[in-house]
Amino acid sequence: MFGLKLLPPMMRTALSMLIIGGLIGYAGTAFTTTLVADSGLLGGGGESNDAHKYMMAFVKRESEKLSRLGPSTDVVSRALQQQNAAQQAGDVKPLTVTYLGGSSSGRVSVHIYALELQAVGGQYQFFPLALTIVGGKVVRVE
Amino acid sequence: MSNAGALGSGHLNSARAAVILATFLGGLLSGVVVYAVTDRGTEANPYASLPRAGEPAVTADVALALANDDAQALANQLDMAVLQRLQTAIEPLAEIRSTKFVGAVEKNGRVLAAYIAGGRTADGIDIVRGFVLSVTGDQIVGVN
Repeated sequence: MFGLKLLPPMMRTALSMLIIGGLIGYAGTAFTTTLVADSGLLGGGGESNDAHKYMMAFVKRESEKLSRLGPSTDVVSRALQQQNAAQQAGDVKPLTVTYLGGSSSGRVSVHIYALELQAVGGQYQFFPLALTIVGGKVVRVE
Repeated sequence: MSNAGALGSGHLNSARAAVILATFLGGLLSGVVVYAVTDRGTEANPYASLPRAGEPAVTADVALALANDDAQALANQLDMAVLQRLQTAIEPLAEIRSTKFVGAVEKNGRVLAAYIAGGRTADGIDIVRGFVLSVTGDQIVGVN
């Protein structure tokens, strides 16, 4: 396959080892760094990439992105979500987004943020948001 | 086979094994390097963040009561409305085995103290739940 048979056996083995080693190195590093980052072992605060992306989409009211990062829902729910987001997009201005911390147990992780928002009418809001993530999808926001 | 032939073949096999091992380790290293170069990690927060605050004593007591399964202490520390909100916040945890303070921020005299509770559901599944206690003037006024 792929002309590998044309190569001498020794070179074929070496090439296979290089590819296998590369794949193991890449996948192993990805797994380890994700595990360490999510657990906050190295003091990185433990903010998960998925939680961060969801929060950024949440404060910017990017409904498409929110649907992608959230659990699978039907088309009507997604349309409603987009209408809601479009109506609120210009209504609020995010002032601060603070990651408070998180923890995980198996595939489930929880990440908590504090948000300060200023509505166009001048109304100020300071509230927390806890995101529950299962397998890279935000399944609960409260 | 003569001794010299067997010795030569042994050297050849060792050299071959060394080359295979070296290429595998080389591949492993290049995989790590490729990941390090291509990984963008968590993007920077484009918004400002509030400075961290310490854990309020009043919320620490509540967290301790939860971890110790001390209903009496909770009943003494929180009013009914707050207790009901706390119940909703930790659902579906039926048995709390640990509570962990993860951080707090303060703004305009209001402190938000975040906790993660770990334990089991009524079905015996291990889960974690996050809840935030809102404190104003040394009193817990809300739970999220």
